[in-house]
Amino acid sequence: MGMSSGGGGDDARPNINVTPLIDVLLVLLIIFMVITPLKPSRFEAKVPAEPKPEDQTVAKPNPLTLVIGINKSDNVITLNNEPSGDISDTTELNGKLSKIFKDRENNGVFREGTNEVEKTVFIKSPRSVRYGNVVKVIDAAKTAGAQPIGLQIDDLSE
Amino acid sequence: MAVQVGGTSEFNSEINVTPMVDVMLVLLIIFMIVTPLLQQGVSVNLPRDMISPDEDGDIAKDTSVVIAIPDNFNFYIGKEAYPIDALGEKVKNLMKDKPPEKRIVYIKSGVEVDYGRVVQAIDTIRKQDVDKIGLVADKKKDQTPPKS
Repeated sequence: MGMSSGGGGDDARPNINVTPLIDVLLVLLIIFMVITPLKPSRFEAKVPAEPKPEDQTVAKPNPLTLVIGINKSDNVITLNNEPSGDISDTTELNGKLSKIFKDRENNGVFREGTNEVEKTVFIKSPRSVRYGNVVKVIDAAKTAGAQPIGLQIDDLSE
Repeated sequence: MAVQVGGTSEFNSEINVTPMVDVMLVLLIIFMIVTPLLQQGVSVNLPRDMISPDEDGDIAKDTSVVIAIPDNFNFYIGKEAYPIDALGEKVKNLMKDKPPEKRIVYIKSGVEVDYGRVVQAIDTIRKQDVDKIGLVADKKKDQTPPKS
């Protein structure tokens, strides 16, 4: 009697109880499913080198470079000074940029000295615009295929 | 004697809490590991629901330089606030040993911050010979990446 109660049963049972193992693995699985989408993401932007006071040579302006501007007072986005929708709806800007890049691809308009299609876009925004709006414009440009995206730093209006 | 034997071979009224404790301990350990990873530096109201930012695991790494701009008054690297004058020096020190292709500074700025503040930070960064900036933004969920 004493033997049987100590042994936990009359027969030795060789099967392993896997329930706790499965519990733990399922919890792990669920946690990783929740965490994975939190992987951070970013827009890569480039900034032009600092202008040096002694270097007064005027750089040759590149006629292919696109400049996106944001107008502070009425939130209008401009693409090379043409109005292209406003900040709440960037689809017009996106459409225009996509069209320009497509035309360039078809016509083989390359960046000087390379055989990559010129897709450089500069963003020029007054200093008092909300950062969120600038990022929206960057998002629209990136979605259209702009690469690289440059941020104009000097000579910004308030 | 009879009562003891009944405990093993007849009715057992005790709940077996071992699996539950296992699960709870594992949960505890996992959250202990994950929490510091998720909350690096100060919390910033990042731009959300962006369509096309690229995922970049480096942002979360300890070695990368992330400048957080939660409001119009402060710049943070990690959890410490730096005035704009000290920011350049700090970035320079952190960037010292990086190979050229790794010279990128990430900026986590809140959506309400004036662009001018961000420009100020970028201006300081580029004085340290860094010309690549990563603007951290949250990607919209369930969004297929656009063709490039």
